[in-house]
Amino acid sequence: MRVQRLKGGKRKSYVRPQAGPLAIEWYQEDVHVLHNSHWTRQRLHNGDQKPISKKIPPVLDGCNQTIISDELKNDAQHSDFESGLKPLWLRAQSGDELSYQKALRLIAGRLRSYFRRHLMNLPDDVEDLVQETLLALHLHRGSYDPTQPVSAWVLGISRHKLMDLYRRRGRREALHEPIDGLEEHLAAEDPGETLANVDLHSLLQELPKAQRIAIEMTKLEGLSVAQASTRTGVSESAIKVQVHRGLKRLAALVRKEPT
Amino acid sequence: MKTDTLIEMLARQAGPAPDFPVRRRLAAAAALGFLASSVLALVLIGPLPAAAFYTAAPWIKFVYAVLLLAGASALAARLSRPVSSTITARAAVVGVFLLMLLAGAVTLIATPEGERWSALLGQTWWICPWMLMMLSLPALSAILWAMRSLAPTRLRQAGFAAGLVAGVVGAMGYSLACPETSVAFVAVWYSLGIALTGWVGQWLGPKVMRW
Repeated sequence: MRVQRLKGGKRKSYVRPQAGPLAIEWYQEDVHVLHNSHWTRQRLHNGDQKPISKKIPPVLDGCNQTIISDELKNDAQHSDFESGLKPLWLRAQSGDELSYQKALRLIAGRLRSYFRRHLMNLPDDVEDLVQETLLALHLHRGSYDPTQPVSAWVLGISRHKLMDLYRRRGRREALHEPIDGLEEHLAAEDPGETLANVDLHSLLQELPKAQRIAIEMTKLEGLSVAQASTRTGVSESAIKVQVHRGLKRLAALVRKEPT
Repeated sequence: MKTDTLIEMLARQAGPAPDFPVRRRLAAAAALGFLASSVLALVLIGPLPAAAFYTAAPWIKFVYAVLLLAGASALAARLSRPVSSTITARAAVVGVFLLMLLAGAVTLIATPEGERWSALLGQTWWICPWMLMMLSLPALSAILWAMRSLAPTRLRQAGFAAGLVAGVVGAMGYSLACPETSVAFVAVWYSLGIALTGWVGQWLGPKVMRW
């Protein structure tokens, strides 16, 4: 489902017929939302940046994601996804590797179906974007605030990544805001193909030597930071910095890589 | 590469989540910007005579700027994360602005009728907003750069917030050199200059903060 923003800032909306658990019908000013299996009628301010309604997030960058997060907060209580993810994520945040792995797998499945829906015409880009987003989530995981639902945080970043891809591709969809969230994809995970076009292993070769070695030792061979430090003679904090910088560099390379 | 391999790689030796120093980075950038705008104001325009600082005029500007800074920096901090509610911070910014506008209106009404225009326009109304914006540009680049290293996902809004903070910081610098004394002048032209900087930030945000 997408909302189009017309030039001149006036909010007019249109229907894009699409199957899905959440159906929205737009009229000039009122919006009817099928939510939890009943229709609610909500009024939009014409020309306003955001609708009064707490249920419909408005357009593109002008959008205020609090609205989404509020919505997800409500939904989240009933959602298996959130309730399954949150404890894993909290443990991961405090350093539990196994929980982190599980959480990322859970997220990857959701991301795949989310991106697949919004990249109907670019199926080849889906897995690349999943990987790019996972990298971004990892690099910015400090920005997660435990008072918020993890799914809202993930959605915020995934949507940002999706918009970024649209802009890069110079597509008309960049004008549209996908307004359905991860939660709405009740069609659960899409195990589908998991092989991306972009190969991180080969991109790794493009990193500066110190960063590449730090990543290879800790991330591929699985050495602890302390072991990597004694093997290379570099301090532990320097290893951590190199790993972080390397992954950041890698994320930038993935983003630029033409596919 | 398989996504599963990537996940294993990301999780391996990941350790606890790193700190996310929003406040520290924004504060450092704003402080740097304040320094730059003060120096620019003093060098380009020249400081007010010392006697001026014994009158209320520069302090009114300063207090307005400090109050606005509280709201604007809270807004910028919240927009530096993917999902944080911005409602309170926005209300604070608008509230301070309206309060100042009200104070300006009240003093204008208290001014004798013949002098109202000169109180509102002062000597420098046409240059003030532009000068203020110009003095804010170093702060704007510092703050955008700081924000870029965080995780803003609402780029236009984040850019606008960065511009507001920069504008306020520029206003502080400009108040060291600005000869105007009326509250109404500050309420209108300073606010306009700050908003201008905000719009520059809004325009730049999506261009420079992509990640």
